[in-house]
Amino acid sequence: MVKTNKDRLLEIAVVGEVVHSAVEPLYVTGWDGTPSMGLGRGGIVYNVKPGDPCFGWAWGDKVEPGVSADGTGNDGQKGSFRNFSCIGNQVKIMKGEAKGEAGVVVGKVGYLPGGAHHLVLHFEEKTLERVAIGDKVQVRSVGVGSEFPEHSGVRAVGLSPQLLDAMDLGEKGGKLTVSVTKVIPPEYVGQGSGGAPAESSNWDVMTQSPDAVEFLKDLRLGDIVCLRDILTAWGRGYYEGACTIGVVSCGASVRMGQGLGVTTILTCREGEVVPVVKRRANIAEYLKLGGG
Amino acid sequence: MIAVQGEVVPPSTGGYRTQWDGHPKMALGMGGIKYNLKVGDPCFGWASGDHVEPGVTIRGREKENPSDCALAHLACIGNEAAVVDGDAKGSKGVFTGRHAGADDLVWLPGEDIEKLSIGDKVQVKSLGVGLKLLDYPDVRVNKCSPRLLDSLGIKEEGGVLLVPVVKEVPSFLMGSGIGFDTMTEPVDYDIQTTDPKAVKKYGLESLRLGDIVCLRDQLCINGRGYYKGAVTVGVVIHGSSDFSGHGPGVNPVLSTKDGRLGVELVKRANIADFWGLK
Repeated sequence: MVKTNKDRLLEIAVVGEVVHSAVEPLYVTGWDGTPSMGLGRGGIVYNVKPGDPCFGWAWGDKVEPGVSADGTGNDGQKGSFRNFSCIGNQVKIMKGEAKGEAGVVVGKVGYLPGGAHHLVLHFEEKTLERVAIGDKVQVRSVGVGSEFPEHSGVRAVGLSPQLLDAMDLGEKGGKLTVSVTKVIPPEYVGQGSGGAPAESSNWDVMTQSPDAVEFLKDLRLGDIVCLRDILTAWGRGYYEGACTIGVVSCGASVRMGQGLGVTTILTCREGEVVPVVKRRANIAEYLKLGGG
Repeated sequence: MIAVQGEVVPPSTGGYRTQWDGHPKMALGMGGIKYNLKVGDPCFGWASGDHVEPGVTIRGREKENPSDCALAHLACIGNEAAVVDGDAKGSKGVFTGRHAGADDLVWLPGEDIEKLSIGDKVQVKSLGVGLKLLDYPDVRVNKCSPRLLDSLGIKEEGGVLLVPVVKEVPSFLMGSGIGFDTMTEPVDYDIQTTDPKAVKKYGLESLRLGDIVCLRDQLCINGRGYYKGAVTVGVVIHGSSDFSGHGPGVNPVLSTKDGRLGVELVKRANIADFWGLK
């Protein structure tokens, strides 16, 4: 059992609202100049769940599985919702037809500075049918401040106790081992670079170059992946020898420099975390979401 | 040739910001009038400097977001800039690049900068959007005035354009700005300088503001990002950074994925040298 400080974590309620699908007024210009209408970002996506493919949705662009929500109120209140909520946390619907029903946070996706940020939420089928855009949701946030006392070089980034207990984490030779479906090289890692804080938003793994698409094509939403030579401690950037472990939160993109969203949960500077490739390292399985 | 206009803005400050290594920093050098920093100066080494922008920083004012203004989209590196009001009225300079955050950058002669006020209007004779290389239709020309194109010292060898550059940057070092917009014109992106090992390994300390550089495996035709085999040539428009994922900013000026753009490494290729900007 890997020792943590989870008995010292604060549990705090944060509030948001189910957002509308983020359709832009103009056509999306793809990397090669091809126009399209990007579908699947924000709102309620009924037929995509963690465990489903990242690629192949018709005109899908950064498809977010299930329900997307963002914080409401002033910047501080929105910031709390985006930063404190962690993958694996419980979310409850507070108003509307599905009032009182619970779901799980399965992703965090953020766009440009000042732009939209979405928490990606999973609900059971019968709940999903009754959720409405505009419904108020409350997350019982817990995970920010997580630490591994015996692995001081590892920075947990909004790692919830729920995911921590469910995922395949081990220790070997004084290092932390973690199961991932893929180790992704730094040249494929794009948007998100330069962003902060690490707790909200995401990295994008770029899906335009044919070699990258070939390498990434079997990834599924909810997969746990390793970004090699990427440090996500106090912001996002390249650092040789570092690694970032994250959860795939949204699907592929035709926009240059964008692609699969990866939400950080662990990072280290000098190889203190060792990725172990396993085909089934996916939160749908870990959190028993029943997708895929 | 179309007139676009901006206004000299105050320096940008935002309290302490956390560096890549967890230390706080009060960042200097973005926005405003910099009396002792010009194109041709080093990208590194300025005390508390971060993203230092050479010369004078202006912003378009006709829309709320400077990135939506005509200045951001139409001004090209090498275009003539002129102060059109205030004590420095009549001063002539050069447009030297655009920093995605908001800032359009202008070089003005030192004696004129002394007379300049924050709030003064600067007008740029924009020329370059739509510029094409007729025998190289795959090469996207961006934010590049005819004057810059003529100054780059481009040679043609076996159907390939050869551009002198001071540095080749591997694609994995390209950071902030990637994916920010599907437009190429209004956004720069950063050569990351927050891994001290990489800064040393790739010799980034010698970079100067205004340098011409090559970005390997980077494609900037509709936005910015990785594409294996692509080549982008750009101009360094601002200085280094200590914030994760940030560093000297590059405005792409030439880019293709089709192998028709090559580079040769030279000691000096800088817009300050091209145009005698001191």
